Formats: sequence, structure tokens, C-alpha cells
Amino acid sequence: MSLHKILTLGRMLTFVALSGLAGLAPAIAEPLRIEITEGVIEPLPFAVPDFQAQNAAATEMSRNIARVVAADLAGTGLFREIPSTAFISTITNFSSPVQYADWRAINAQALISGAVSVAEDGKLTVGFRVFDIFSQGQLGEGLQLAGSTESWRRIAHKVADAVYSRITGESGYFDSRVVFVNETGPKNARLKRLAIMDYDGANLQFLTDSSTLVLSPRFSPTGDRVLYTSYETGFPQIFLLQIANVGRAALPTPSGNMSFAPRFSPDGNQVVFSLEQGGNTDIYRMDVSGGNPQRLTSAPSIETGPSFSPDGSQIVFTSDRSGSPQLYVMGANGGEAQRISSGPGRYNTPVWSPRGDLIVFTKQNAGRFHIGVMRTDGSEERLLTASFLDEGPTWSPNGRVIMFTRESQGAAGSSALYMVDITGRNLRRVTNQGAASDPSWSPLQ
Amino acid sequence: MKFGLYISGIAHGVLIAWLLFGGLFTSQPKDDLLQVSQVSILSEAQFDALTNTDAEPESIAPEVSPVAPSRPQPPDPVPELETEPETAPADIDRVAPEVAPEPAPEVEIAPVVQEEVATNEVGTETQPEAEAAAPEAATTEIVTEATEVADLAPTTSLRPRARPNRPAPDAEPDPDPAPSETINDAIAEALTNSTSTPTPATAPTGPPLSRGELRGLQVSVGNCWNVGSLSSEAMQTTVVVGVTLSPEAKPEVASIHMVSFTGGSDAAARRAYETARRAIIRCGTSGYNLPSEKYEHWREIEMTFNPENMRIK
Amino acid sequence: MKHITKVAFVVLALGASACTNAGRFDNAGGGAGAGAVVPGSVSDPTSPAYFQQTIGDRILFEVDQATLNDAARDVLAQQATWLMANGAFTAIIEGHADEQGTREYNLALGARRASAVQNYLIERGVAASRLRTVSYGKERPIEICSDEACYSLNRRSVTVISAAGLTS
Repeated sequence: MSLHKILTLGRMLTFVALSGLAGLAPAIAEPLRIEITEGVIEPLPFAVPDFQAQNAAATEMSRNIARVVAADLAGTGLFREIPSTAFISTITNFSSPVQYADWRAINAQALISGAVSVAEDGKLTVGFRVFDIFSQGQLGEGLQLAGSTESWRRIAHKVADAVYSRITGESGYFDSRVVFVNETGPKNARLKRLAIMDYDGANLQFLTDSSTLVLSPRFSPTGDRVLYTSYETGFPQIFLLQIANVGRAALPTPSGNMSFAPRFSPDGNQVVFSLEQGGNTDIYRMDVSGGNPQRLTSAPSIETGPSFSPDGSQIVFTSDRSGSPQLYVMGANGGEAQRISSGPGRYNTPVWSPRGDLIVFTKQNAGRFHIGVMRTDGSEERLLTASFLDEGPTWSPNGRVIMFTRESQGAAGSSALYMVDITGRNLRRVTNQGAASDPSWSPLQ
Repeated sequence: MKFGLYISGIAHGVLIAWLLFGGLFTSQPKDDLLQVSQVSILSEAQFDALTNTDAEPESIAPEVSPVAPSRPQPPDPVPELETEPETAPADIDRVAPEVAPEPAPEVEIAPVVQEEVATNEVGTETQPEAEAAAPEAATTEIVTEATEVADLAPTTSLRPRARPNRPAPDAEPDPDPAPSETINDAIAEALTNSTSTPTPATAPTGPPLSRGELRGLQVSVGNCWNVGSLSSEAMQTTVVVGVTLSPEAKPEVASIHMVSFTGGSDAAARRAYETARRAIIRCGTSGYNLPSEKYEHWREIEMTFNPENMRIK
Repeated sequence: MKHITKVAFVVLALGASACTNAGRFDNAGGGAGAGAVVPGSVSDPTSPAYFQQTIGDRILFEVDQATLNDAARDVLAQQATWLMANGAFTAIIEGHADEQGTREYNLALGARRASAVQNYLIERGVAASRLRTVSYGKERPIEICSDEACYSLNRRSVTVISAAGLTS
């Protein structure tokens, strides 16, 4: 657990303003005023007792759902689960009052209680409440969700999203999926295929077979389509895949040797990508249908890795026009580009955050690779990771977490997916089957 | 030798081809049925209305078998979420130097100095904010300070702090921490206080709180002010929270309210307020360490929770 | 002698399918460089085997560079001569990069390298219509260690000869 208490209270605290002028009448009308500027940063302790099974059919599910909710929350690093073995009392009835003192005694600050029922037709209904133990009140209203029993994980993720949102004040990211490249085989004969899974690694499915090299899938903003680069024709070319039926078709790009590095526009109607002609790679933009192709850069240098700002007005990309790959921002119709990266090293794979305030990138410097973030004007660069090879970051739907590829060194090197909070804390590996690379996070579903 | 290799190569080729042309893929059932509704604020009828709405997304459940023939390999099993390891093994590199969440100490040194000085003094109440402008060197207690802040000092530029010429101190001894004599007063105070405005005549007023006492309160609340689970927007929101303390210096939960906020949306302020409220309650469970003879001075408190220094920059 | 027999045997065994070289990496087993040859041996100057092994089908590049050094030009000059003398063949020029770079940038870098080779061959008289480029970026290393010893061999272009016409 990499969450650490950042600071101590031994130093600090700016001036204390006192109200209530001295020497005035003993009646003190004004309250005492103090300013608190230093607190602590640590995971918030929470308890999730097994949800209440409202009928026999829901017994197992009530436990499983509580477990997924707990894993979602604890996995963020912002929360810490209090194990049930520490519980003094537990929830025996969804509707009965909470024994705040019992939860306070074990320092649970949030309590999630829930009830689960499974109807005869298989319909699953989950209700839950979130309690602020120390304030002895409910955080928001109770919520109820319903779906098929097969979708129980999604329902659990939705519960966790709601809890996360109520406590942190920002939307969650648990009911989401990740499309990525599954890898098998040795380094010099690697097989790659597109795969999709829940953000937490569950429900792994394959979208293509391994007969053709595939690279860098990218989710549409609506979560229903994926752009990726495939060698299906023998030459790298962008394909569009419909997740629902796994139907795929080459994107009708302008003619060139190779098209790659696609990303959707925020409205999902356009795609921005790289096209290589005669050894020169530039950035283009066109409708997903192939209409209105527009060339956005025309330098003899390499321009690639374009990514739209969430409002669609700007594009950040990589160019080596200065002699090494650096990050630039230009308008969505091209034109003058401003360089934003300024540190030492090489900058690649910029991705604009869904909140619009940050750009995540891959940085290569002094023989190491980093995932880092900077503000959109290039200021306040912070590196979040370092390893032999980190690359290809993607944002969680709420812009709080970054998933990326980490590849290990040497002849037996292989790739895996990792997640890290934008604070640089809570770095952890995403569980999935086998080696994996090039993650792309879906929107919240 | 080589011949064997060739044979092996061919055999592998055949095997791989067999594997490849046996592709089996499945597609994820897309949107499951999911509806959301409020539990506790809905009537039965409303609830039915909600759950029966046909706005629920269509479930696209069919297993899709794309053109590729089925492959002999079984699909990979679905990983269990619960077994997901907390990642923290040694092979994970953290970028300590760059990430370094070491708080910028710049703004933190001076107050310590100031505080140490202040603990021995009284009458701080009358000092307006403008006083805080004397250079840190003006303090006389540097020597004792040095030990506490030694690790931070070298790299830090101090915020200038003013220290005025103090009036002759009100020769106030350390506040009596054992308020036994005041209990009756306190009880009376509590009784009257619960329903009406304070009656100054019966409540102990005493001199204003010393800097040390104030700082102790700040530290106590700050110890429980956990901003680790706040959104970045809420981390940019400063909230002012009002609270009434009982004579035992315990927060009256019902009295806690948000006075004002700056720097964020209503929702962000709400989360910031909840975090502040939690802090006040949690660390006040057994009462804050405040001198009871000065109750009138701290019965009503407005605490400004300013997370600016806590943010990652 | 025996060697030649073996080569012939392999050629027959792998079959003509190996000639569709644009996708020669696509099915992993075939990728390791067995090479696509048509009947004809290394000692047959008109054979792709001769092109591949005697002239040399690959040239190497410096880090981040796509410029051709003297050794590379020398090899490419011979490749051009061979291609002009053997007009029935076409070539696909693969561009590769080492693993020290991001996937998409390296794809572009590989394309730049392949294009440098293509341009040189055209300069030397090979018809542009007989040449095509493809970049594999860092996807298809031939050496797998994570040292400069391997990286230097992976930063390469490979001119793959095919009897089949170029498509698309």
C-alpha cells in the first residue's frame, strides 16, 4: 500500500485569526475563528458487511456483490476496508437503524449496507445506503438498481461508483471496460489479439484472433466501437470494430503506405490519425465514415499520437520537428502548433484527460521510461512512474486514474497493464490473463 | 541437427496454423439491464413506475461468433477480482524523486517558530494579522526551534513574519487544565446554552486563548482532517464550518454547519464540508483540550478548512 | 552439397505460401527469418537466396536515425543491381526499430527507414513500381536481449524479395 501519510502536523498552520476584540464586553458575540491548513492524506476506512439477502436465491449474490464493491473501493487507494472480523455488530436488517457507536468504535468512517433479491425471472435487485458514521447520517439517499443476474458485477460496480461519488465528490470509474492487446509467444514471434475486459480484469473476451498483428486499440466515447491498427492487409491500417457483433472494416483513409495511431473525436463522429506517405508521417482528421479528410500537419518530420481535447477544439500530438519527439498542441483544424513539453528527454503518446486539465504522456529519459502528467500548457510536469519501459497511458473515465503498459526487460520480457492514481500513489498491476499491452479505457457505462 | 530443426519448424508451423485457424472469439454481452432508482425517497407507486419504465437499455446478449472457425484452445478463464493482488512487490518502480509528495515546506516553517514563541505568551488575541510580518530572525527562540525544524530548514525560505512589540503580557499563568471549579458553571452554561443565546454572566469567560491553545486545537482537528478521499475539485474548495462546543469541549453534532465556501462547486463544497465535519466530530469525541475557564471564547468556533497546501501541485 | 539439398528440401516443405511476404510475420512460426526463397540456391546469383545471403538483405541504422551510412549504400547498390538484373522480382522493404521507443513513434520511424532504402534503390534505377515499404516499428525484433548488442541489429531494414507481384 503506497498511501502514506504525507505530513505531520508538527509544523504549519498559518496565522490564527481571532475574533472578538479583546477588552470588549464579556458577551462574546463573534465565534472563535481558526484556520486549518494541514490535515492528513490517508485512505478512508470503510466497512461493507455482506449485503442482506432478501430471499434464498440471493444468498450467494449478496456476498459476492459486497465483495466486488469493497474491492472496487479499496482498489482506488482512497479507501481502506475494515475486515469483517473486526466488526462489533453487523447489519441484520437493511431497514433497521445503524448502531453508529459500534462502527465508530472500529473507526469505520463510512458504512455501506445493502439488500439483494433475486426474482423468479432472474431479475436481480440491489438496494444500498451509505452512512457517514461519525456524522451519524446517511450520505445521500438510498439507491436501488436492477438488472439480470448475469450482470451482477456491473450492478456491484455501479453501487461502488455511487459510493465513490458520494464520498469523494467526483464520478467513479468502476462500471467501465478496457480494450487492450493480449500477447502470447516469445518476444521475436509475438502473437497479438484484441481483447476486452472489465476495468478490474473480470469478463475477459477476445475480439480478434492472433493471425494478424494488431496494435493500439482505442475506445469510442460511446464505448460501442474500437479503432485499432491491424496488419490484416499486410500493411498497417486502421480498422473500426463494432464491439456488439465484432464486425470490423478498414477505415477508408486517404491513400498512403500506412495509417495508424487513431483516436476518436469527443463526439465520436470523427477520427484523428497518422498517415504515412513516402516515409513522412503526418496527422489527418476525417469523419469516421471516411468523409471530409483533412490534413492537419505537413512537416517533413514525424507527427503522430494525436489526441483531442475533451471540448474537441484542440489536438495534442507528438512531433520530432525539433530533433526529438516532443509534445505540441494545435487547433482541431491544424495550423500553428505550440510546443508544450520542455523538460529533458523524449515525449510521446500524449492523451488529453477527460476533465480537460491535464495531459498524460510517455517520457523517455536517461534510459528509463515514465508515465507523467502536465497541465495543458506544459507546466507542472509530474512523473508518476519509472521503469525499463512504461508507455501508452489511458485515462479512467473520471480522469483520476491512469492505466498503462509496463514491459519488463530482457529476452524473456513481457508486458502487463498497470494502474496509478494521478497523485502518483497506488500503483498496482491489473489482473488479467496473460501478457497485455496498449490499454484503452471505455467511458463509464 | 539442422534437419531436425527443420522438421521441428515444420511441425511447429503446422501446429501454429492449426491453432490460428481455429479462432474462437466471443463477444461481450453489451448492455445488461440496469436501472437505477432511489430507495428511500420513493413511494411504492413511484418505484414501480421507475422500474417498469421501458427506458431500460436493451440487453445485447447474444454470443457472437465471428467468421473465424472455433479454436481448440478454451477461452481463458475469467480472473477473480478478489484474488487481485495488491501490487507492491519490489519490482515496481516508484519514481520517488520526481513524484516526491514531500510537502513544500516553505509556508510551514514560520508558523512553527511563531507558535513556539507564542506558547509562552498571552494576549495574542489582540494581534491583528498584519503583525505577522516580522522576519523569522526577529524571534529570539531560534535555538530551540532549530532542533525541530532542522531537517526542513536548509532548503526552505521562510515566510516573513512580523512580531510586534508586545504589550506587557497579562501575566497569565498557564491555564488551569483541571477545570473542577468551573464545572458548576459549565453545567449551568450548558443548560442555558442549549436553548438560548449564551448568558455571559454565568459562563466563564477568562482571557482569550493563547497561541498554544489555539494551535493545539488546530492540530487536533487537523489530525482528523483526512482529505485523502477528496476529489481534486473538492481539494480546491475552502469551507468555513461553524460548530458549537459543549463545556466539555465536545462538538455538538447538530450544531455543525457550513458557513461559507470558496473555490468550488456546490457539490465539491458539500464533500469538503463533510470531510471537515467528520474531522471535527472524530477528533472531538473525547473533547478538545481547551481551558474551560475560557469557555465563552471557544464555545462558538468557525473553522476554515483550507486544503491549498495539501494539494499536489 | 548436403547443405544445398537441405535448403531445397526446406523450400519445398514450406511451400510456395511463404512467398506472400508482406505478411510473413503474421503467422508466428514462419517469421524467424527462414526467408522466402524460390528454387535456386545461394550460389545461384539469380536466386533470392543469393540476394538475401550473399548480397545481404538488411542494413542497420543508428539510434533514431534513418540515414544510410557508406556500408548501407554499398549493400543497397548491390541490391539495386540485382533487382535490375532480375526483373521478375519485386521487393517489400521492411523498416524496423529497436524497443527503446513508444509503439507508434517507432512505427513512424520504421517507415522513415524503409523509405530511405526505397528512395535509394529508386535512385539507383529500380522502378518504383517494384518496391513497397512496410513498417513494423518495434513489433518484430530479430534479437531479443535488452542491450545495445541486440538493439543495433534490430534497427534495420530488410529487403524481402518476392516473385509475386505487389498488390494494392
